[in-house]
Amino acid sequence: MSRTTSYPQTMPPTRPEISSDGPEPARTRWAQLATSADHKDIGRILVSVAFGSIFLAALELLLMRAQLAVPENVFLKGVTFDRLLSVYGETAIFLVALPLIIGLLYYVVPLQIGSRTTAIPRVGQTGLWLFIFGGILLYGSFLFTPPEAGINPLPPFSDATFNPNNGVDVWIGSTGLITLGLLMVAIDLLATLHNLRAPGMAWRRAPLFTWAGAIVTWLFVVIAPIFLAAISMLMIDRLYDGGFFAGDEGGSPILWQHLSYIFFTGVYMSVAITFLAAIGEIVQTFTGRELPRKAVTRSFVAIAIIGTLAWTQNMLTVPIPSGWKYFGMLMSLALIVPFGLIFYNLISTVSQSDFHMRAPLRFALGALSLASIGLAAEIAQSTIAVATQLSETYDAWAATHFTLIGFVLFGGFAAVTYWYPKMTGRQLNEDRAAKSFGLMFVGTIIALLPLFAAGVSGQVTDSYRYFSFEDLGVYNLIAGIGTLILFVGIVLAIGNLVASRSEEPAATPDPYRGDSLEWLALSPPPAHNFDVLPDVHSTRPMRDIREAVIRRDAETAAAEDAAPVSA
Amino acid sequence: MRRRGAASATAIRMARVLLPRSRKPVSLFISLAGVLIAFALNATPAMALSLNPDAASPGIEDANTLHWILFVVILAVIVVVNLAILKAARPRSRAVTPKPGRKVSQVKLAIGLGVFALALFVVATVFSDKSREIPAVNAEPVAGQVKGEPLEITATGSQWLWRFNYPNGAFSYRRLTVPAGVTVQLDLVSTDVVHGWNVPELTGKAQAIPGKTNKVYFRADDPGVYTSRSSVLSGQGYDTMEIEVNVVSPEEYEAAIEELKTDIQDAQDKVEAQFKAERDKSEAAADQVGKAETNNDAESAEAE
Repeated sequence: MSRTTSYPQTMPPTRPEISSDGPEPARTRWAQLATSADHKDIGRILVSVAFGSIFLAALELLLMRAQLAVPENVFLKGVTFDRLLSVYGETAIFLVALPLIIGLLYYVVPLQIGSRTTAIPRVGQTGLWLFIFGGILLYGSFLFTPPEAGINPLPPFSDATFNPNNGVDVWIGSTGLITLGLLMVAIDLLATLHNLRAPGMAWRRAPLFTWAGAIVTWLFVVIAPIFLAAISMLMIDRLYDGGFFAGDEGGSPILWQHLSYIFFTGVYMSVAITFLAAIGEIVQTFTGRELPRKAVTRSFVAIAIIGTLAWTQNMLTVPIPSGWKYFGMLMSLALIVPFGLIFYNLISTVSQSDFHMRAPLRFALGALSLASIGLAAEIAQSTIAVATQLSETYDAWAATHFTLIGFVLFGGFAAVTYWYPKMTGRQLNEDRAAKSFGLMFVGTIIALLPLFAAGVSGQVTDSYRYFSFEDLGVYNLIAGIGTLILFVGIVLAIGNLVASRSEEPAATPDPYRGDSLEWLALSPPPAHNFDVLPDVHSTRPMRDIREAVIRRDAETAAAEDAAPVSA
Repeated sequence: MRRRGAASATAIRMARVLLPRSRKPVSLFISLAGVLIAFALNATPAMALSLNPDAASPGIEDANTLHWILFVVILAVIVVVNLAILKAARPRSRAVTPKPGRKVSQVKLAIGLGVFALALFVVATVFSDKSREIPAVNAEPVAGQVKGEPLEITATGSQWLWRFNYPNGAFSYRRLTVPAGVTVQLDLVSTDVVHGWNVPELTGKAQAIPGKTNKVYFRADDPGVYTSRSSVLSGQGYDTMEIEVNVVSPEEYEAAIEELKTDIQDAQDKVEAQFKAERDKSEAAADQVGKAETNNDAESAEAE
């Protein structure tokens, strides 16, 4: 904390009729949270659920890696492994990545645009509860049959003929509730973004994270209905012999692959956009420099459109017309341009400025490092000739995990540590954050780098065992050790988030001298966010306000000096 | 909340004792490098720059060449980006304020990246086209092959066994026998769920999807045995769904599928013979019972 701020802890209310000190709430805190339609409460619940689920996903990954640590292991049964794999995939995508990005955006973006509320809060609240029931359904299924048809349950394997138990029904129900719920939250955010921006907050002045919010919610409004349609068809196939995905009844199993991969690719891109924007905010705040806004925001739009159009990159071994395969390859490789631009601008901005290394920036740079490995490795996965060799192996698994662990885990911790003072009103313990970062970073690299080699040596994913003659033991053993280190790091990092809430000193409203409007609100913000809605005149409204306060203080002091004090 | 906070704080205090006390990130990277070097020393020779060791069909050679090129490009990208991040994260001395670097035009940067991406696309397209080409068809057709056309064999995936149908009507399970030097067209179909055909040395991966035929072509130039396993999760027996491709000389191939055919015919004959014998036996027994019944009837009639 070398850069302490001279900015006062609370703004003097200029309009006395609006006060942040209301009467004491009549209900207890949990009842208030459970019935709240406030975007901050909903956002915090979503982010908390995401961090709890990070622990669950890491535990499931650790169990799977323990099973694969040695060849012909008998630690887990095949069916148990398949269930862990399916639940892990759903947890990582639907209970970690999506609620984390939607929750963060839903919490921060209304504050950034200077809004006192969201446009249709009841829609957001309904969405939150649909999401929560989806999560309860998934983990409640451990009482009977969890899903066991893989991360992406391809029909006809996921049809009732080959998976007659309730596992796939649980998968459909829980992903459906979660997607529908988060879609409603996204729609609320989108309506807020288009209607409730503070005076003067034109799009050209909106912060990067707000831009990411607009792009990601629009993208989600496009891709989520596609996925909901697909799982509805799968449900009709399973329960009422629909035949949408039955090859011999006029349907096609390939249809499912198209629809589901459009959604999953869109989610991948949403994750990348959200966390690159969060990293952009962090870099801007800690270096005090602005990123080139036009280039970065246009790159986000390009990632959203081109990236989602690259869905056939996942289908290069499927019998689809080869034109689609070349199209997928072109779109995937075209992503080099926007990703390259953003990475260049982020890294060069950090490189050319003076700053103190703090936890959010540390996690942000770690995220860029890991995601760069994953995104570069995806180049090989995108070309038709190499994909016929390496897709469906641990090479593909490692590439995807480097990108998603980089963005979701490290980007997620970067964003949450950055906004931690705002969300909780407490500072974060920097020392513990740095240590857990070190463990997580080393663990991720040790857990994933050997898997590239395992994939090239031919280890296929989703299999609960391999045999000693395949010579894969070394890679998997090292990956298992790395996963253990990663798991310990994750536990410590989450523990730090929990422990700092009760141990650390209170945070000021603007601990980093940030430039966007969320730092104008108190920490944590009151229910109505702002006592005063400022007029926005530039891309850095908070700096304008700070300068105005300093100017006003100087004027007051000058006036006091001028007026002789009567004795 | 307070108690949970205390518990995790205790865990963190324990970890602090276990972790090295050095505050420098250098120790982190040294430990990481140590682990990776140990890994490199222990890895098998196949790891050596991590590329497919064998290419037994012409298309796979092109895929391997492309993989080599991309491997170098990817490694260069990763090294450059991560060195830049390390440089950006270097500790600052307060005395020196960094010079603002020269401004790079975003448009020029985008054009540069675009040219790089386009170059990669062109290279990838050239090699992908080459790897997808149907290998030149042999002059002398083997048994069951139409002259000038590839030898057509059907591979049917079922839970959890591959079945191969040869042109002469013979079939085999798990093991595919193909002639060396002959271009083979493998028609991949499935009777139940999606199966992943996967022989890295000959064809790479291709999905067998019900209701659809996925064609792959290869020409194994040297005799040998290539084993692999399916690559798409298909249920409880997925991990044992092996594929063995046995490449033999054309004469041996013809002999092998003839033998298969006669074996299958023999088995069929045996089954039919046994069935016939059993039917005869049961008919004979039924006749006897019938006779006995008529006798009984006659006896009872006499008794009356």
